[in-house]
Amino acid sequence: MTLSIIAQMTVSGSLMGLVYALIAYGFQLTYATSKSVNFGQGELVMVSAFVSLTLITLGLPYWLVVLGGLFFGALLGLFVERAGVRLALEQRSEGWILLTIILGLLFFSVAENVWGRDDRPFPTPISQQPIHILAVDVTPVELSVAVGVFAIMGAIEIFKRQTLLGKAFDAVSADRDAGELMGISATQTVKLSYALSGVVAAVAGILVSPITTVGPTMASALVLKAFSVAVVAGLESGFGVVVVGMFLGALESIASFYLGSGWREAPGLVLLILALAIRPTGVFGKTLIRKV
Amino acid sequence: MLTVSDLHAGYGLSEVLAGTSLEVKAGTVVALIGANGAGKTTTMRAISGMLRPTKGQVLLDGKPVQGLPASRIARLGLAHSPEGRKVFGPLSVEDNLLLGAFRRLPRFFGFHARAARDLDRVYELFPRLRERKKQDAGTLSGGEQQMLAIGRALMAQPKVMLLDEPSMGLAPVIVQEVFRTIRRLKQEGMTMLLVEQFAKQALGVADYAYVMERGRIAIEGKPADLRRDERMLAAYLG
Repeated sequence: MTLSIIAQMTVSGSLMGLVYALIAYGFQLTYATSKSVNFGQGELVMVSAFVSLTLITLGLPYWLVVLGGLFFGALLGLFVERAGVRLALEQRSEGWILLTIILGLLFFSVAENVWGRDDRPFPTPISQQPIHILAVDVTPVELSVAVGVFAIMGAIEIFKRQTLLGKAFDAVSADRDAGELMGISATQTVKLSYALSGVVAAVAGILVSPITTVGPTMASALVLKAFSVAVVAGLESGFGVVVVGMFLGALESIASFYLGSGWREAPGLVLLILALAIRPTGVFGKTLIRKV
Repeated sequence: MLTVSDLHAGYGLSEVLAGTSLEVKAGTVVALIGANGAGKTTTMRAISGMLRPTKGQVLLDGKPVQGLPASRIARLGLAHSPEGRKVFGPLSVEDNLLLGAFRRLPRFFGFHARAARDLDRVYELFPRLRERKKQDAGTLSGGEQQMLAIGRALMAQPKVMLLDEPSMGLAPVIVQEVFRTIRRLKQEGMTMLLVEQFAKQALGVADYAYVMERGRIAIEGKPADLRRDERMLAAYLG
């Protein structure tokens, strides 16, 4: 009995953890090209989810809703890059930290005023009826999270490894100036990485909303855990975030079942503190060697 | 092919270049020599756009390019192999070379096939790079990294190539090899601006040379004439 509960908690928790992993992956994308991340990434998830919800209420078919949501996510990403990151990077300042937090707060207020403060259900054509697989109940919606996460991460990894533009990403990451000398515009590359990161946030929003509902506050809990995942796995760990994300998701769902739902946030924070104390570069991170 | 006139540039408030002028004609090799801190590398950086000139003009193939971002200037046909080589350490040797040709390859797929002939040419020039093409560039020796930096610049099929201190920090044998390569590229008709500390070797391959002192061109002329110049003998060729 307890074993089957643990199995159940592990599976549904780790599926949820994939969403944390996906948001953490968005951090990695911009970190690689610009050594900056969007601290308002959670609000991008939330606003994209709201926009998709609006498209659904307009009666658009689901595939068009997804496409529209992703497009909007890319636009938001570009907006964050233009308004919050580019100027700071050009002046080699750390101002992007504060600016992206402020943009996040701005998105939060806009969302509250446009869509209201209530959490709303997010209708989806995918069935919510659990199916029984090997003593565990899984809903097709939960499975769609896994499919969606691996599809978008897989597509972006293929882009990064198999195309010249993707290799240019790595080049800018390795040496911005040398990349420029090859004709690779660092600014354009950073822009592209923010657009991709926005797309990733939108995918996360569309995948998680049918499970959690949509509301202005959905962002804060998600992004905190995504941060833990990104830091624990390492900001240059690639697929390392998937392993850590699933682990954290499973851990928190087991913790909230046995210790009470008040303990749900505890494992993520404990992991974060442990990681920073023991291995600041991340479990899968490469130790930074700085040549002088 | 490359004409620089009255170029001023610096870092912050300190002006390093105080009106540098020079010319590189198509198909020639021009050497830029001078002591440490004379402004040779700064000249290169101001030409290629890594550093924004505060005044003056840079004409590449007749087009003014001063003030453009480095990536634009590179796409217009200037390849700068910078001081310290700056290869992409975590990327493979072959990826480094492919990225060298970024300006003229398709951005998504099919770039490898399009670059195959140029890759072969670079590998034929530097057989060592072919042996190591799958290896991370950061793991190469200094000499191999220099060959990679030159190969990467060649991949762009540039109109003008800037080579900054290709001999820096290399063993004498490797320095000879680098200069052999430069000589061979010259025979193939490459237009080059070469910055060197080794004035003798640089004069050996160059068609024309400029000597920099404190941000300005102090002496210029054909290598044969410079070799007889007393100031040159005293300061650089002694």
